[in-house]
Amino acid sequence: MAICTRCIMDTTDPDIVFDAEGVCNHCHRYDVVARQRIIPPAERKERLARLVAEIRQAGKGKAYDCVIGVSGGVDSTYVAWVVKDLGLRPLAVHLDNGWDSELAVANIEKTLKTLGIDLYTHVIDWEEFRDLQISFLKASTPDGEVPTDHAIWALLYQIAARHGLKHIITGTNVVSEAILPEKWGYGYFDWSYVKDVHRRFGSARLSTYPHFSLLELFYYIFLRRIRMVSILNFIDYDKERAMEVLQKQLGWVYYGGKHYESIYTRFYQAYLLPKKFDIDKRKAHYSNLVLSGQMGRDEALEAMKAPVYPAELLEEDRQYALKKLELDEAAFAEIMAAPRRTFLDYRTSHGLFELAKKLVNSSRQLIG
Amino acid sequence: MRRTRVIPTLLLRGAGLVKTTGFRNPVYVGDPINAIRIFNEKEVDELVLLDITASRTGKGPAFATIENIASECFMPVAYGGGIGSVEHIRKILGTGIEKVVINSAALRNPELVREAAREFGSQAIAVSIDVKRRLFGRYEVYGDGGSKATGHDPVAYARTMQDLGAGEILLASIDRDGTMTGYDVDLVSRVTAAVGIPVIASGGAGKVADFTAARRAGAAAVAAGAMFVFHGPHRAVLITYPSQAELSAALN
Repeated sequence: MAICTRCIMDTTDPDIVFDAEGVCNHCHRYDVVARQRIIPPAERKERLARLVAEIRQAGKGKAYDCVIGVSGGVDSTYVAWVVKDLGLRPLAVHLDNGWDSELAVANIEKTLKTLGIDLYTHVIDWEEFRDLQISFLKASTPDGEVPTDHAIWALLYQIAARHGLKHIITGTNVVSEAILPEKWGYGYFDWSYVKDVHRRFGSARLSTYPHFSLLELFYYIFLRRIRMVSILNFIDYDKERAMEVLQKQLGWVYYGGKHYESIYTRFYQAYLLPKKFDIDKRKAHYSNLVLSGQMGRDEALEAMKAPVYPAELLEEDRQYALKKLELDEAAFAEIMAAPRRTFLDYRTSHGLFELAKKLVNSSRQLIG
Repeated sequence: MRRTRVIPTLLLRGAGLVKTTGFRNPVYVGDPINAIRIFNEKEVDELVLLDITASRTGKGPAFATIENIASECFMPVAYGGGIGSVEHIRKILGTGIEKVVINSAALRNPELVREAAREFGSQAIAVSIDVKRRLFGRYEVYGDGGSKATGHDPVAYARTMQDLGAGEILLASIDRDGTMTGYDVDLVSRVTAAVGIPVIASGGAGKVADFTAARRAGAAAVAAGAMFVFHGPHRAVLITYPSQAELSAALN
């Protein structure tokens, strides 16, 4: 197995390519994205001040200035902290997909109480969502988290539009999550994909599931002029330091692992992806930290030797996931044994997105 | 002395949880299994699980659902909804539920309370009493999920239930349900003054101080719904439970 000489990505990404020095395409892409999207330190103060003034101006006379998503995780909690620190008046939005851990809800509660932020929660009907999650498991692609991710983005746009707000401030950021191979996870903006998978494998009616078509996305972005702002790209975002601030100031508690605040995410990333698809997302996360200088390459390789998650907890999560999804062992075994597929086996808007990406790459900040 | 028990009340409608206001307008708040998992970790004293559709449909308790939920619970659970016979109670207690809550059946057939208490012991039998305030401050017991006046006075009715063998009274104010404006402490004092068995105050809790007020009015335990599932001005769903330190300070 070939591994990149600069980060720790390897050929478990089927699309990886290396240059003459053995440096992979993800590294090259990171360099471009970092240059485009991370605001250079010298310009930060001024650009941030301008951004804050713009957001405040847009929120004038309204109950809130902007929308933020909250999951109880590091990135979104730190966004809440930063936004308040900048003197903005955010409305926090939470998607309850039925998999929140106690740590997640306790973190959200502590954060919002301490910072004095109002919350809106959308609870997806569990019977509906269960049907959709199982559909994606049966679709046999590594995109089983797309139902959650798509709903979060849809919800953020919906709530911003409902309150007449122009800014959605997100925790997406270059220094910790710029790397993700397309075949490891695709489609959170792609309702066609979600719809097609559900049409083939699902049966429930999706009536409370937040979603948006390409047309609606166009409406939100160009007619309502709702902007996604990746605020962490405007500051010196260091994960370790951010967590320290959150622990000290908010009583926030770490849950071990990226996005492990959701039990399904933990099960999906620590159990299903490695065992069924040979995908270990830590490779992408650590590579990202290596490239942004927050982790040494040797340190990352060493960290990869540890198990994704302790075996007994993994089994506990598996049992719980099966019970909650109402899958018996035979049905789950069938899911695990089904041949691997990718989003290319389904009807998607992938081609359109590729085209659009080329067209709007210059106005990137519109879609975050 | 053990401090006053603080009990989240979960309302089951079909397979999902809802929260009502004034016993009406149910709002979906999520999946019971996930909510219970969170309450487990929050180390709540007890849970009350009430199926608000079981009586109306006439199908009786959904035993499979109850068993599924009970198997997830680390804390003692009282179940109510659709219970009409000793046989129902036997089956429910067989799923690992500690206590049953009888409402409609106690109104229709008070003898069931006596039979059940004799068979399973008073500690396993709670009677819930749903009360509305009428004109001139008179209280009246309502049946069928708060939709039908029964003519009973809650104090006299509670005494009757005690005499029949009920081990506990779950006393709910329909007017305060879901409002988070505080318990109807007048109602709580009247009933607790009249009976010797523990009374759980229910309906209206919005903050820890409300628990203290209910305890002062004689409640042996306090139940709350909205307070543990809603957060802030948008009534955003967010499961919460006060810390043990907060509860000890307020209730010891």
